Amino acid sequence: MATQTESESNAGGVLMRDRLVKRVGEAVAAGFVLAIGGLLAWILSTQVDYRLLSSPLIARRFAEAFFLVVRIVAISSVLSVSFGLLVGLGRISTSDVTGRIAKGYVEFFRGTPLLFQLFVIYFGVPRLWATGQFPISDWAVPAAIIGLTLNHAAYVGEAIRGGIDAVPEGQMEAARSLGMSRVMALREVVLPQAWRNALAAIGNDQIILVKDTSLLTVIAVPEIMSVFRNINSNQLDPWTPLVWVCVLYLVITMSMSQLVNGLERRSDWGSDSGMLGWLSGLSSKGGDGGDNS
Amino acid sequence: MTGPLVEFDGVDKFFGDEQVLHDVDLSVDEREVVVVIGPSGSGKSTLLRCANRLESIRGGDIRLDGRSVLDANVNEIRQQIGMVFQSFNLFPHKTALENVALGPRKVKGLPAETATERARELLDRVGLAAQTGSYPGGLSGGQQQRVAIARALAMEPQVMLFDEVTSALDPELVGEVLDVIEGLAADGMTMVLVTHEMGFAREVGDRIVLMADGRVVERTETESFFDRPETDRGRQFLSRLL
Repeated sequence: MATQTESESNAGGVLMRDRLVKRVGEAVAAGFVLAIGGLLAWILSTQVDYRLLSSPLIARRFAEAFFLVVRIVAISSVLSVSFGLLVGLGRISTSDVTGRIAKGYVEFFRGTPLLFQLFVIYFGVPRLWATGQFPISDWAVPAAIIGLTLNHAAYVGEAIRGGIDAVPEGQMEAARSLGMSRVMALREVVLPQAWRNALAAIGNDQIILVKDTSLLTVIAVPEIMSVFRNINSNQLDPWTPLVWVCVLYLVITMSMSQLVNGLERRSDWGSDSGMLGWLSGLSSKGGDGGDNS
Repeated sequence: MTGPLVEFDGVDKFFGDEQVLHDVDLSVDEREVVVVIGPSGSGKSTLLRCANRLESIRGGDIRLDGRSVLDANVNEIRQQIGMVFQSFNLFPHKTALENVALGPRKVKGLPAETATERARELLDRVGLAAQTGSYPGGLSGGQQQRVAIARALAMEPQVMLFDEVTSALDPELVGEVLDVIEGLAADGMTMVLVTHEMGFAREVGDRIVLMADGRVVERTETESFFDRPETDRGRQFLSRLL
């Protein structure tokens, strides 16, 4: 909108160049869409077997996998954000010991592949018991949830630490000056602001968590990619199940970003709900009144 | 009350190896308004921040009502010492009313209604009865600083410390904040102010304390300081302002 008014009021040489760059950008973007769209249309019309695509058999198998992934994501999300909050608090602890432990935790879980961590938990941990003694018979899904939680808690912890660091030092000082303890000041003043600062990064990480569930196929969790591999090897038709895979992941990730957007809007204090929003509503009414008189 | 309400007794403060306060003595009586002035970097703000232990000191003692601030429970002693900052430091996620009510509610454990009612009265007192529901982001600097004063008053402190509270304000907003402070002085609040507003210092201060290089170089009754300062440093400082 701003660019439009600018280009209307001013037609200098620099602006001409701006407009040229904009047009070139549009052409490139449009070309990209055409190329990808064309390829996609070609695949969808020649490669996809629509009878198989809509057959209840594969629909049911994908649906089962989908709801399993949704459950795993929901649990791992809640756990990794909660545990990540502790990791973030550990990182800013005034205790040197706690700080170092939290740092070490983050270094390890960010520094090794998730697949390695899943292998350790799924294959390694049961071997710590004598053979046949491991008490959990269906270990794949619990192992998956533990792995995803531990891994993503490290990323959430760093996001929260960054969010806390971004809160001005004066906030802590003002809260402490009222006689609040450090813990109370963190809870009442610093963390609510840090949460808002960290929300975008946490949301980003949780979307990655959704996609990381695709790795669970290698530890025998019957998730979406496993269904694909199964159908592909039976039918020798990759494209038809791939359409399912693509749509199902997008459904989860896009719902996730909607959720994050909603949370971000809710914690956007002082713009819509505050004085400014109220004032702007008031002044526009005042303007109408002025016109009438 | 026999002794002074606030007493700095030979305070030494270091930042690393650099000594920023040298053997500072200063006493403030109940209902007295002491204004600390001096060039930038002279240690004025640091002195205030030592009083409520936002900074620690290496030598000397600071007493409130005869009791050492250094030995006291820090969260208890801070409730007795109201602090207002140059940069307001209001809590941006809370309304003006919540900013003022938060301390009494969480620290003093007052019921929410009582705390809110008192917060409303305090905001009324600083002239912000109409802004109780506003977030700091929607308030002018002068309004924010008045909320910050109300927030400090809500803890019912024995003494109020003002750390260059008008330095971050647009010139036309300074007056409304100074009016509030003057009102407090008239009500008998004990206050220590660090300020660069000499006209205001003269008007509201009972005593002027001039600091330079981490030392108190002159302390005098306000009128005599501005009319005929006792020390060379005092004369020098005033002549630069004129």
